[in-house]
Amino acid sequence: MDVLRTEALTKIYGTGENKVTALEDAVLRVKQGEFAAIVGTSGSGKSTLLHLLGGLDRPTSGKVFVDGKDIFSLKDEALTIFRRRRIGFVFQSFNLVPTLNVYENIVFPIRLDGNAVDERFVGEVMQMLGLDKMKERLPNQLSGGQQQRVAIARALASKPAIVLADEPTGNLDSRTSQDVLSLLKVTGQKFSQTIVMITHNEAIAQMADRIIRIEDGRIVKGGEPDE
Amino acid sequence: MNKVNNRRVIRQLAFRELKNSRRMNVVVVLSIMLTCILFTALATVGGGLVNSVQQETMRQVGGSSMAGLKYVLPEDYEKVAADSAVRNVNYRIIVGQLVNGELRDFSAEVNCAGSPDAAKTMFSAPTTGRLPEAENEIAVSTIVLDAFALPHELGVVIPAVINVGDQDFSQDFILCGFWEGEKISPAQQCWVSRQFADKYAPTPSERYQQFETMDITGYWQVDFDYRNSWNIEGKTVALLQRLYGDSDEIPDVGVNWAFSTSTVDGESVASAAILLLLIFAAGYLIIFNIFHINISANIRSYGLLKTIGTTAKQIRRMVRTQALIYCAAGIPPGLICGILTGRLLTGPILETTNIHLSSSASVSGRLIVLIALFSAGFTLVTVLVSCRKPCRIAGSVSPIEALRYNETVIAPKAESKKTGRISERVLARNNMMRSKKKTVIVVLSLSLSLVLLNLLFTALRCFDMDSYISNLIVGDFVLTHEDNYNDANELFKVTEDDVAYLKSMDGTAEVDPVYFQWGTLSMDGEPKHRLEQFCEKYRGSAPDEVFEFAAKNEVDADIYGIPDPLLKKMEPEQGTIDLEKWKTGNYAIVWMHYVGAETEPGETDFYLPGDKLTVAALDGGTKEFEVLAVCAMPYPLSSQRYSYLGGHVIIPESEYFALTDNRNAMKVMVNAAENRYDDVERQLRVLTDNPGAHVILKSKQTYAEEYGAFLNMLRLVGGTLCGILALIGILNFVNAVVTSIISRKREFAMMHAVGMTGRQLRAMLSWEGVCYVLLTTVCALTVSALLSWFLLRRFAEEMFFFRYHFTLLPVLLGLPVLLIFSVVIPAAAYRIICRDSIVDRLRENG
Repeated sequence: MDVLRTEALTKIYGTGENKVTALEDAVLRVKQGEFAAIVGTSGSGKSTLLHLLGGLDRPTSGKVFVDGKDIFSLKDEALTIFRRRRIGFVFQSFNLVPTLNVYENIVFPIRLDGNAVDERFVGEVMQMLGLDKMKERLPNQLSGGQQQRVAIARALASKPAIVLADEPTGNLDSRTSQDVLSLLKVTGQKFSQTIVMITHNEAIAQMADRIIRIEDGRIVKGGEPDE
Repeated sequence: MNKVNNRRVIRQLAFRELKNSRRMNVVVVLSIMLTCILFTALATVGGGLVNSVQQETMRQVGGSSMAGLKYVLPEDYEKVAADSAVRNVNYRIIVGQLVNGELRDFSAEVNCAGSPDAAKTMFSAPTTGRLPEAENEIAVSTIVLDAFALPHELGVVIPAVINVGDQDFSQDFILCGFWEGEKISPAQQCWVSRQFADKYAPTPSERYQQFETMDITGYWQVDFDYRNSWNIEGKTVALLQRLYGDSDEIPDVGVNWAFSTSTVDGESVASAAILLLLIFAAGYLIIFNIFHINISANIRSYGLLKTIGTTAKQIRRMVRTQALIYCAAGIPPGLICGILTGRLLTGPILETTNIHLSSSASVSGRLIVLIALFSAGFTLVTVLVSCRKPCRIAGSVSPIEALRYNETVIAPKAESKKTGRISERVLARNNMMRSKKKTVIVVLSLSLSLVLLNLLFTALRCFDMDSYISNLIVGDFVLTHEDNYNDANELFKVTEDDVAYLKSMDGTAEVDPVYFQWGTLSMDGEPKHRLEQFCEKYRGSAPDEVFEFAAKNEVDADIYGIPDPLLKKMEPEQGTIDLEKWKTGNYAIVWMHYVGAETEPGETDFYLPGDKLTVAALDGGTKEFEVLAVCAMPYPLSSQRYSYLGGHVIIPESEYFALTDNRNAMKVMVNAAENRYDDVERQLRVLTDNPGAHVILKSKQTYAEEYGAFLNMLRLVGGTLCGILALIGILNFVNAVVTSIISRKREFAMMHAVGMTGRQLRAMLSWEGVCYVLLTTVCALTVSALLSWFLLRRFAEEMFFFRYHFTLLPVLLGLPVLLIFSVVIPAAAYRIICRDSIVDRLRENG
């Protein structure tokens, strides 16, 4: 079953002479438990694609289905709520709430929803990511790699349908990048979590189950799962 | 070193940046306008007041010239006129006095004006007609005409009796000019022609010698101005030195004390400086805030400019250039609005301060230019000082930091934090803790206006009209004299005829004249002993003469003669008022006072009931009385004059008449019978509402109205002050909220991305606002209560017309307003940052 599916996704910025087609007729399917990497040069449209997949931006035309739900049929507020329940984000710049400690950051989306935290699950995630010793630290006390691990834990904590990672290792040195990515992959496998990751680093992309290539706003390879 | 000419490009950049943010421009220009209005309005009110007081004083002095030489010869006039430091040199020739019986209420000087300007500087230039030319012509004020009961028409004949030197003679003059006289002038000018002056008062050839030449007839009075009124006395000393050197012919000089406001002393400089500083601080707070917001909003573009090689200095110059552009747009309209506001405010303030000159209330054109220049300069300086710190922030930003500018850095001290609940409220509270300094400033500035509002409100509520009025008037009406310190007879204005008329009036319940005479007490026995002890203790708290006089065992005393019914207005401090004893005429009520220092209660009671006292009236007899009680004359019925050490001696009317021949009363208290108030007032007005009236009427009604006007002025001034402070408080709050939101733009975008809805974010921001309000409330209530209790209550105890009530109502009433602001402003600010899409906001640092 496809956790993520798009229909002729197109995003055009500007009008007239300034018109830029960032994404054109992108068709993409991702299966449950898959770890996909979207690879492309800068300006190829990969970030636009990821933002559309996560419902952070609205397409000019086309649709995105997450868990079979047409996310752009939702109003902004409902979309935000859908996002915190079904989509986890990992950003290049970690993006933790500076006033909350590690644990609070991880359960932040769940708490926003007013739901009880599955302590056992969160504990397990934290242990896997090596965060169980630093539950009460504040983000500015952590290294970049640690911060990104917290961000990954946050993305996983609400058991989303899909985790979207936007250059998750972009701000890390290569050794830490390897560590973080291994952890992402391992935890993904363990919880059979679907992950879509953007990167421009071929070596990193090689760790994924599938590589989706994007050039000049078009998906040139790997849009469909390998059957 | 090469000098790089990059001013043009920086200026261009400044303009371009401005074009980019129109909404911000409007806000900044408005805030500069507001500051300018604040300064200009205050300067206009202040300038108007000083100007009016000065004008009024000049009229009391009787001239607008800065200084003058007294009793000199024409050659002195030539000397002065030739000096380059002086200007507007005018002279008048002293002729004599009009001594007609009709003019007994004021003095009427006869002089010859050297020029029309000489008359103008004396406020005595004919507005109808001209100065006299023929020998039998005269120009006088309407007051003189009214006293003669002559019509205000040129050509009428004035039957003058002139005193020149030591002889009086009659002369009929033809009126050739007149003007509206000033009642407060020390003397009315009567101008005669040069011909007349030369004939009857020829200029002597001998120099005037003080103490030797008694006759001043024919001497010249030479008045003149300097370029400005700074240090007139010093300039005059220098002038005399230049003109006369060390010769012993130095004439008398006079300096116009209307200008003594500009003879500055330390204390007034200090208080003016504090006031200016406060006003400056108010303006600074307004403008600093706005610039700070502006810089925070643009910080990324400054970072960008730096990455491409703009130096810190250039960025600072750019920001400063923008500030100057804003000033150019904001100051001119600010000046206009400020002057208009100031003029609106000046009217009521002048009215309540009892400056009656309507003409001087209008601020002259020259003053307006000065005020405008001052305010514009002041605003400019404020803006430049206010944008210094923001400039520094903008200049010192490093490119990378600017790109991820986050105003608040968590103190690295806090290594960990206990896990707690997460809700909008908790997040808000955490955010408040991020920058404690900012929180404190915002809370204090919000509290300040509330605290002041509360103080003002409490103070206004503490005013007690009854006690205020009871100190100003006793009974329904008091017929009394006008305050005129130039008139030696001012305390004897109610004539015997007047008193008879008052007693014959219809509808009165009581008519009680109060007679007054200056007198002295000769001390003896026990009172003398008490006085000596007193003098010993307080020597040094007053000039030595006071104690020298007392050492002769003589003390000044006001002698009051009163009819028996007034006894019931007396509230004795010691002894009792025994009507039987009083009626024998051998008893007096006595009260002594000392104003040189604060004394203990009872310390000035040199006389106690039973003591003997000997009174001598200034113009008559002496009598011994026994002290009946210690009690002061009620203030409204007293002479309201105090010497350092003196007293009141109150004796029966009949005894008073035995001491002196003066039969004129000082004041008359009139009470109306029930429901006859208006009738009595109408009858009283007969005495006061005619041009030659020499008495005025004070009624309970007019005081109640004056009281209302006074309160209104306090409300107006206080309200304006509170309004400005409230504005500053709110601007600080807006600043705090807006900068914190702008700088957390990305953080919010991230929170939004991971699923915090817009509603939740807005709720969090509103909670932050509520936190501010809660802290402000606690702070304002505490400070208000403390100030009210410790400061205002003590103050109220000192003031006779204050009755203290404790209240915190204004603070409580201010809360809902603050709450609304605290909820609305953050939400509005959030909406503004939401204009950028979440993707853009997330991308902001790369």
